[in-house]
Amino acid sequence: MEICRLEHIHKDYRMGEVVTPLKDVSLTVHSGDFIVVEGPSGIGKSTLLYVMGTLLQSDGGTYLFEDKDVSRFSDSEKSGLRAGKIGFLFQDSALIQALTLRENLLFAQGIGQKKDPAQADELLRRFGLEDRAGFFPYQLSGGQRRRAMAARALIHHPALILADEPTNDLDEHWSLEIIRILKEQAGSGSAVVMVTHNSRWAEEASKRCRLEDGILIDISQTAAI
Amino acid sequence: MLMLIWKNITRRRAQSALTVTIAMLTVMVFVTVFGVFQTVNQGLALSRKRLGADAVLIPRYATADGSDLLFTAIPENIYMPAEVLEQAKELTGIASMTPQFYCQTLALSCCEPGEEARIIGYDSSSDFILQPYLSESSQDGITPDELIVGRNFEDDDLVGYNYLVLGKKFKVVDMLEPTGTGMDSTMFMDIRTAQDMCLESEVLREDWQDRDPHDYISVIMIRFADGVDPQAFVQQVEESGIDAKCILTGDTISSLQSQLDVIMKIMFALWAASFLIAILALVGRFNALARERRKEIGLLRAMGLKRLQVFGLIIGETCTMALMGGILGSAAALCCMNPVIHLLEDAFKLSSSVWTGPLALLCGGFGIVLAVLLGFLAAIVPAWKSASMDPQAAITQGEVN
Repeated sequence: MEICRLEHIHKDYRMGEVVTPLKDVSLTVHSGDFIVVEGPSGIGKSTLLYVMGTLLQSDGGTYLFEDKDVSRFSDSEKSGLRAGKIGFLFQDSALIQALTLRENLLFAQGIGQKKDPAQADELLRRFGLEDRAGFFPYQLSGGQRRRAMAARALIHHPALILADEPTNDLDEHWSLEIIRILKEQAGSGSAVVMVTHNSRWAEEASKRCRLEDGILIDISQTAAI
Repeated sequence: MLMLIWKNITRRRAQSALTVTIAMLTVMVFVTVFGVFQTVNQGLALSRKRLGADAVLIPRYATADGSDLLFTAIPENIYMPAEVLEQAKELTGIASMTPQFYCQTLALSCCEPGEEARIIGYDSSSDFILQPYLSESSQDGITPDELIVGRNFEDDDLVGYNYLVLGKKFKVVDMLEPTGTGMDSTMFMDIRTAQDMCLESEVLREDWQDRDPHDYISVIMIRFADGVDPQAFVQQVEESGIDAKCILTGDTISSLQSQLDVIMKIMFALWAASFLIAILALVGRFNALARERRKEIGLLRAMGLKRLQVFGLIIGETCTMALMGGILGSAAALCCMNPVIHLLEDAFKLSSSVWTGPLALLCGGFGIVLAVLLGFLAAIVPAWKSASMDPQAAITQGEVN
């Protein structure tokens, strides 16, 4: 089942001079996909995720989510889409500082659906954070925060999970574990689009893409060879 | 959402305390000014209503402050010949008039009043000043050994008790209803009895020497007939050659009202300035807070919070802090209201007892509403700017606080 589709997406940044990270990007994401986007730093991989996550409006092209044109969505409708269907795993540490880990998860869940404390506890356990449930983000290590962010991204069962370098700050064990959980999510009907530098994780993908000069190239076949 | 509002407030304790303090001080000043304004205005209205007299004739030489006489019945040792009463009857435009004789002010530390008590002789046959505050039984007048006392003398009913005044025993036959004036701390006896006491009492006799108190009175309270021009009446008194001068109560009230109006205008201007300063200070604080929290706001938007919800979150935080400041400020102001009002009463000889529970509730309620308004006004621009931020820019450019 198709979740979303990018058709000839174009995005400029005007910062004195015009920078165009996305010139002509097309991508179709289906349920069960685990797509990895590779490319050097600053090439526009995160920009692609922001567009897919409706946090950034493209300047051209069409973005369809469940066959609906997102560019026609109001700000409120986009918020609703993010709350219900999209899970973010940001590159930087991003948790609500005033809330404990458990509260962070429940708050995120409560935006779009009914709160389920049992589910929050289960996710914390899966990410090895059950003994840190009552801790505030500033009381955790970078790796623990990263795991908490992953748990929060999954709490509302999103159809599309957007992960920006999700294994940053994580040790070998938890890097493998996060990738395993993301793949598991894809296997259960969600789709994952992950940006990474690490070619090792790229090998886990069902589809590999490279962003070059603003164009997304499917390198799955090439990589396989 | 409410939990996040509360957690954000308690997390930044020092900053929240600063916001609460600013709101508290602003509200405290407002409630004090507003409360005083209300009290003063009601006090003046009450004085006007309770006074009963349109004018007072006092000795020509008297330097007594008219407002002392008119508003609080504070007795002064001023006397004029009793013939003035007869001469005054010749004046036109008088509906009724009654003489009063200020006998003495006593420090009755031995007795229940504990403070100062004034002895005033009044003429029950012509009186219209005490009448509204008397019970039916004593409205026809009192005998030489009877006494009427003000409400400040005792919480309990003193009627029926005997009272020893300057060695003479009196029976209390009535207690005045509370007047909110100096009458509440006054003993009233028959005017003839009061004059007698000046001769009988060793303490007072020295003041009179070879004069006979029966030949003197202190003031004549006058009520005008309908349609009398007060200024024309004053003119008439001056031209009549009576050995007395006329004080118009309306003039005194108007004069006091004018003075208080000016003071109140200054106080409100100062409060408005402090309100403006508080808004500016809070706008600065909330702007800084919004900058600090850009990334958090971006994150909330990424998680699906709508603009209006982010706006509500920030407004909710600021209004909650302002509300706390409002409650504390109102409570603090209400606590210090009594001393402030007493200070004004002393300075302006105002009627008291108008600072009531409902008025305190009104002032406190206004203070709290004002605090929330202050928080809302100060936060509306920063909150809207935060809510309108491009979420991606907020996330990438913001700093995690």
